[in-house]
Amino acid sequence: MLTKLFIQFFKFGCFTFGGGWSIVAQMKELYVDREKTLTSEELLDLTSIGRSLPGTMIGNIAMFYGHRIAGFWGGIACVVGMIAMPMLILMLITGFYTAFQNNLWVASAMRGVRTAVAPIILSALMGLIKSAFKISPCIIVAVLMFVLYFYFRVNCFWLVIIGAFLGLLICEFYERVKKIDVTV
Amino acid sequence: MLLFELFWSFVKIGFTSFGGLSMIPLISSEMISHGWMTASEVSDIVAIAEMTPGPLGLNCATFAGMRAAGILGAFVANFGALTPAFTLTAAAAIFFDKFRENKKLAQIMIGVRPACVGMVAGVIIDLALVNYSGINEKINIPSLILGVVDLVMLIKFKISIPKVLLFSALMGIILFGVMGL
Repeated sequence: MLTKLFIQFFKFGCFTFGGGWSIVAQMKELYVDREKTLTSEELLDLTSIGRSLPGTMIGNIAMFYGHRIAGFWGGIACVVGMIAMPMLILMLITGFYTAFQNNLWVASAMRGVRTAVAPIILSALMGLIKSAFKISPCIIVAVLMFVLYFYFRVNCFWLVIIGAFLGLLICEFYERVKKIDVTV
Repeated sequence: MLLFELFWSFVKIGFTSFGGLSMIPLISSEMISHGWMTASEVSDIVAIAEMTPGPLGLNCATFAGMRAAGILGAFVANFGALTPAFTLTAAAAIFFDKFRENKKLAQIMIGVRPACVGMVAGVIIDLALVNYSGINEKINIPSLILGVVDLVMLIKFKISIPKVLLFSALMGIILFGVMGL
């Protein structure tokens, strides 16, 4: 069973370009459509929990699914299987990168690539904005964290912790004073 | 000691990140403050991670771990980044129903999401300041123009990220390699 899970997730791991959604799609195809061992509602639950917990979304989903099928070690088998191929590929790339970093052509190509990084993050950020600003105090949180990050260089670890506390505080306020549940 | 520091850094990154993009500011500040990567290298790993399979956070862990402490470093960093999966998610799997309806988690995210927006906005400026500067000058015009073209391709024409990166690499070879700008 563990070997089977490992192999299945090893295959998923080989085709995860650009974020974790392709893994969810592959899981749907195998477990929901073909094997019928999982309903699409269950997969949705798995995904939403994987997303809401901290850490890598697909790491969480793999752990969750594996745990369901074969307990803790099943989870481990899925996670390790999933990351094996990407890790190997990236190790090779890191080796090449380190060796050819100062080669003129590689350095020029990387300089070009770097110009695309801020635009890529910016375009991804724009997709995040809608879900981030559900209620107006969220805008203040975002501005505050920007100032703390950019001008005061507060470690991001603490910024996330502060953000979490502010989230609880804001929701408490909305529930007590305005009688609105903002989480729904 | 280095291995433990690396592990601890990625444990912190793991527990405070929610989804690929939100990891970038955390990774950037941990890597740069420890001297494991420069701002340019952070940009490079974001680009490399977009072009290779696997989630961004783990690809960064492999890259940073290997650069800081070799292959063992890569394993340690990945293990650190996956700690939330091995602990919190494992617990969530046991108490599945409680987690599904957990309101506190949703409330926390109301604050964490905008916090991520603020941090990511900051990191975009950080990376832009480095990526659009030349070797001797503060702003390198060809880089800046290329960046604007990339942005238009991504947002206006919805061209996929790997294609945009490939285009930028080719333009980089032409502009900076052949023409020496």
